Amino acid sequence: MYKRSTLWTLIMTITLTFALAACSSGGNEPANQGTGGNTTTNTVDSGSGGEGGDVTLRLMWWGSQTRHDLTMEVIKLYQEKNPNVKIETEFTGFDGYWEKLAAMVAGNNMPDVLQMNFGEYMTQYAGKDVLADLQPFVESGTIDVSKINEGLMESGQANGKLLGIPLGMNALTVIYDEQMLKDAGAKVPDLNWTWDDWKAAAEAVHAKTGEYGTQGFETGNVFEYYARQHGQKLFNDDATGLGFDDQLLADYFQMTFEQQEKGTYPTLDVIMQHEAIEDQLIVHGKAPFDFRWSNQVVALTKAAGRPLKLAPLPGPDTAKGMYLKPAMFFSISKKSQQQEEAAKFIDFFINDVEANKIMNGERGVPVNDEVREAMAADLDETNKMIFDYIDLIGENSSPIDSNFPPGSSEVLAALEEVNEQVMYKQLSPAEAAAEFRERAESIIARAK
Amino acid sequence: MAKQLTSEALPVDLPGVKRTRKKTKDTDNLTGYLFIMPFLVGFIALTVFPVAMSLYLSFTDYDMLGQASWIGMENYQRMLTDDNKFLQSVKVTFFYVFTAVPFRLIFALAVALLLAKVMVMKGLYRTLLYLPSVIGGSVAISVMWRQLFGNEGALNSILAQLGIPTVSWLGDPAYAIWTLILLYGWQFGSSMLIFLAGLKNIPASYYEAAQVDGANAWHRFIKVTIPLLTPIILFNVIMQLIQGFMAFTPSYIIFEDGRPLNSTLLYVLYMFQRAFTFFDMGYASAMAWMLLLVIGIFTALIFKSSSYWVHYESEGDK
Repeated sequence: MYKRSTLWTLIMTITLTFALAACSSGGNEPANQGTGGNTTTNTVDSGSGGEGGDVTLRLMWWGSQTRHDLTMEVIKLYQEKNPNVKIETEFTGFDGYWEKLAAMVAGNNMPDVLQMNFGEYMTQYAGKDVLADLQPFVESGTIDVSKINEGLMESGQANGKLLGIPLGMNALTVIYDEQMLKDAGAKVPDLNWTWDDWKAAAEAVHAKTGEYGTQGFETGNVFEYYARQHGQKLFNDDATGLGFDDQLLADYFQMTFEQQEKGTYPTLDVIMQHEAIEDQLIVHGKAPFDFRWSNQVVALTKAAGRPLKLAPLPGPDTAKGMYLKPAMFFSISKKSQQQEEAAKFIDFFINDVEANKIMNGERGVPVNDEVREAMAADLDETNKMIFDYIDLIGENSSPIDSNFPPGSSEVLAALEEVNEQVMYKQLSPAEAAAEFRERAESIIARAK
Repeated sequence: MAKQLTSEALPVDLPGVKRTRKKTKDTDNLTGYLFIMPFLVGFIALTVFPVAMSLYLSFTDYDMLGQASWIGMENYQRMLTDDNKFLQSVKVTFFYVFTAVPFRLIFALAVALLLAKVMVMKGLYRTLLYLPSVIGGSVAISVMWRQLFGNEGALNSILAQLGIPTVSWLGDPAYAIWTLILLYGWQFGSSMLIFLAGLKNIPASYYEAAQVDGANAWHRFIKVTIPLLTPIILFNVIMQLIQGFMAFTPSYIIFEDGRPLNSTLLYVLYMFQRAFTFFDMGYASAMAWMLLLVIGIFTALIFKSSSYWVHYESEGDK
């Protein structure tokens, strides 16, 4: 019924096709499906019919739909004010952004202005020398940074160059449901609260309602704070290894593990099933605390539909642990032919009151002090709370650590995995701390 | 027609004309190459070149931003001796392939046997049963799977109603991979259609003859259906094995990082992480070639074994 040879040919053909597809695309294709391939290339129509477009700038960023819409409006405004400039935009979600950017760098096709992230990403791109030094533009006054917090400006530096201009300010925060805490007779957090207060409040709520006492933590962020408040750092000063003792990490694991065993801290499968912002435990009144970045508070409050409040992370030594983080940067490609024009756009983006009113703090609290004051009057409740919180942290914080070694994104991923092993009781806190050190050191050594 | 053939065949025997004919043949070839040029260009630029490039990159340290630097066999060495996560992904993938593939094939065959008996609305049933294969890789399925197997999901509600203790299907490392295996089995459509076609090709007279000889339904299945279906089974086994080794999407969209505890870290998912999360392109390329090697070995083994169990009717007396 079937000739052996025919079958052979058929199978070999299909096998080869599959196998070749495996090595050539290396899983790239499914990824595009997964993220919905939501990259969009666009040119904002300035309404002037494209007349006199002497300069064309390419601009790329990541973000949500809200950010895309608002940024497009800002660009429209810029083009109205500068009819000779035409801005082409490309944007995508955070997931696909770094793949896209890396491919652009490899293909020698970087946009003129691009959004850059603090920490491991900045370290990586600084090491490759593909970003322009912006110091000359600051010195010439093209980019005015005089109204920006100096510590924040430092975060854009790497290898002695200024590689990014911060676009907004962020800080870690504890979002809490005041009503839920009061109902349980728990203490409401303030500037001086401590980890013990956090535990007591979480346990009180859990005992009273049977709900969780807190949302789970993003290990990297919260542990970094924990290390800083204890006078240590995630990475050492010359970025060649870890900057804390094993005991400290073991203590941290012990603390969260104990809370999980008491039922106040959700198990990982619960955390995993409540990942989207509208599914968060605090949104549904299933936990009184949530630890996250302050620029996510707007979305969280909107999803919850009721007022939530902000506090710094638990003490002691809150000010040593807390820091202001640049929410993101704009950087300029080193190969850009129009760095001057690109710099002008960045200056407009951070210093123009109207532009910042349009953005409405979507990229974090505006960095320019005067812009912030000008906006204060028209802010809604939630944004006012966030602005006040950032001011409070500005006075009660220490400079951000920017000593991320190459390979640090993999180190942070390993930290998350080791944390999983503790929570699933595969490793004791002490074993996990030792295991993490071993893995982290081998990753850093390899990435050098 | 016949005349034409003769007049064309004639010059072949004449030595003087032979050269002209050869020349004609060359132009014929050129025309041929021109015709397949669009394909060739695409094939070389989009397939041959990337494949060769990936082989080269597998011997380098390359992060896309800088230059690729030659490090010889280091990627392969690290893979086999110094990467626990790689070994974990291999373990997960083997378990997945050798559980999910038989599961899907048996399921597909069972459904095909049933469907072969259906006489009314065949097309409708076939379409409905094939549907899961079409929508399989979509994000909607990941949402549905989370709804079904979530802690407060449909399955747990049913179990709770029946008084059976509930399980965290997605959160427990012992169960998480089974939800993926189930998903793979559920997308049995293409194998089923191929089985169905195979079943239709078995002449009814064989069954009648067997029946006359007193064979019951089971005997007919074992002695007639299965042997005559072996070429189809061979085809399906190989295709599914390859697909199984290359599975990526379900794990990526349901469990993201291979959680919990890397229990759903399929090989290709880890390869993707190395390439696009850590920009370790050289290592990821090496992993791709390793995968090709493994798939090649398994395919070869199955082909080798096929002479013992695959029955080709046309060579029946062999």
